[in-house]
Amino acid sequence: MQRVDRRIIYTLIFISVIVPTLWPLQLPTAVTPETQSFFNAVDSLPSGSRILFPFDCWPSTLAETEPMAVAALRHCFRKDLRVVGLSNVGMGGPSVLERVLLQVGGEFGKEYGTDYVNLGYKANYQAVLLGMGSKIEDIFPTDHHGTRLAELPLMREVPNYDSLRFTVIISDNAMVDYWVSLVNARYGMPMVAAVTAVMAPKQLSYVQAHQLQGLLGGMKGAAEYERLIGAIDKANRGMDSQSLIHLLVIGFIVLGNVGYFVTRDKRRAPAGQQG
Amino acid sequence: MKHRLPILVAFISGAIMIVAFFGRGSVVDAVSDEALRGQTIVAGIALLLGVFSIVQVHWGRITTHHSDRVYSAVLLLCLAMMAGFGVFAGVDAGGVYDWLFQKIQAPMMATMFSMLAFFIASAAYRAFRARTIPSTILLVTAIVVMLGRIPMGQYLYDGLPSWANWIMVVPSVAVQRGIIIGAALGAASMSLRILLGIERTYLGRG
Repeated sequence: MQRVDRRIIYTLIFISVIVPTLWPLQLPTAVTPETQSFFNAVDSLPSGSRILFPFDCWPSTLAETEPMAVAALRHCFRKDLRVVGLSNVGMGGPSVLERVLLQVGGEFGKEYGTDYVNLGYKANYQAVLLGMGSKIEDIFPTDHHGTRLAELPLMREVPNYDSLRFTVIISDNAMVDYWVSLVNARYGMPMVAAVTAVMAPKQLSYVQAHQLQGLLGGMKGAAEYERLIGAIDKANRGMDSQSLIHLLVIGFIVLGNVGYFVTRDKRRAPAGQQG
Repeated sequence: MKHRLPILVAFISGAIMIVAFFGRGSVVDAVSDEALRGQTIVAGIALLLGVFSIVQVHWGRITTHHSDRVYSAVLLLCLAMMAGFGVFAGVDAGGVYDWLFQKIQAPMMATMFSMLAFFIASAAYRAFRARTIPSTILLVTAIVVMLGRIPMGQYLYDGLPSWANWIMVVPSVAVQRGIIIGAALGAASMSLRILLGIERTYLGRG
């Protein structure tokens, strides 16, 4: 029981991912207080408010971060919030943000430049975060497409953080720490964060300290949010696969431990006989 | 003078940033803004230096017939393609650069990351053993959190999600907060050492 061939483990994992993807189980997901707080914070913003939407994610974590970004953006656009997007991850961040903005913006008939903007990427995140507090145009003279900010109606209304009411951070790395310690601490910007599941335990401390008003943790957080906004999508389908994989991993752990205790008792028995 | 001048520059720069952080709208704020703008420019140049460095290393491997020269050639070819299409054809959605990123690079990176599911399952089976009391506590806690975080867990027992959430929000956050405070104190003391000229390794000597 302690020596199951790893090819069997890999095959079972593969089946656990594929089967629920093809035949969804549609199990309900319990909403955590942190997700509910995230939803309430966005929902309480007045229609037409301008918000910052940093998408600080690498393409490798898209399975978790994209459903969170899509669900959060759907809520924002449904409330007619005007979104200023940017990315502090140079490799792919702006491109994925562009894809998400185009997809969700298209669903709600939003117009680029008026309802949403993608500022793209600039190197040195600490200088970017602090510099935007004084003048965004100093840090981003043009948007992701090379258009001058003065030519974008939304950006003419947003010289710095003072004109932004809220921040929705999507992140798979330590950028949330900098948004909290630099932008929330210095400029008092209220914010929520959607992070990968592995990052969530650390970020929960910011929620308890009220530095973050809410938190989405990984695919489960995205699945909860999809239910809250009534738009079931990728995350809920992904949770079915995650359910089966978690059960499978638990099964393997139990199997390994049963094998360990059985062989340990067998090892002890001859030693006892000898003694 | 060789060492005093850099230490003086570090002290003045650090002092400006600290004062500007706590005194918004002050005279120092304007100086800090200029410094921040300069930092983004320097960071851009540093990125460019990184590109030169990577080209130098891999071109060297190709010309010296290194055993991995094929990989180096592929890297340089991809670098040239992405940079060329990005600079000359633009990065807009629907363009070649965007297509290469969305259809090749992003799926490849996501695939590499998703392999973790296979390795974690295999590693958990081989290494997660209840050998001692602490490891047993860790094992039971992990199982409760894993079950509580999935819809199936709630289906099996209604109370599991709240148990899992309690573990995440109370004991886990307590430890995380300790780590955060410890790291912050360490960073603050290291910054002070640099500003006061006690820590000089950045000058190229211990």
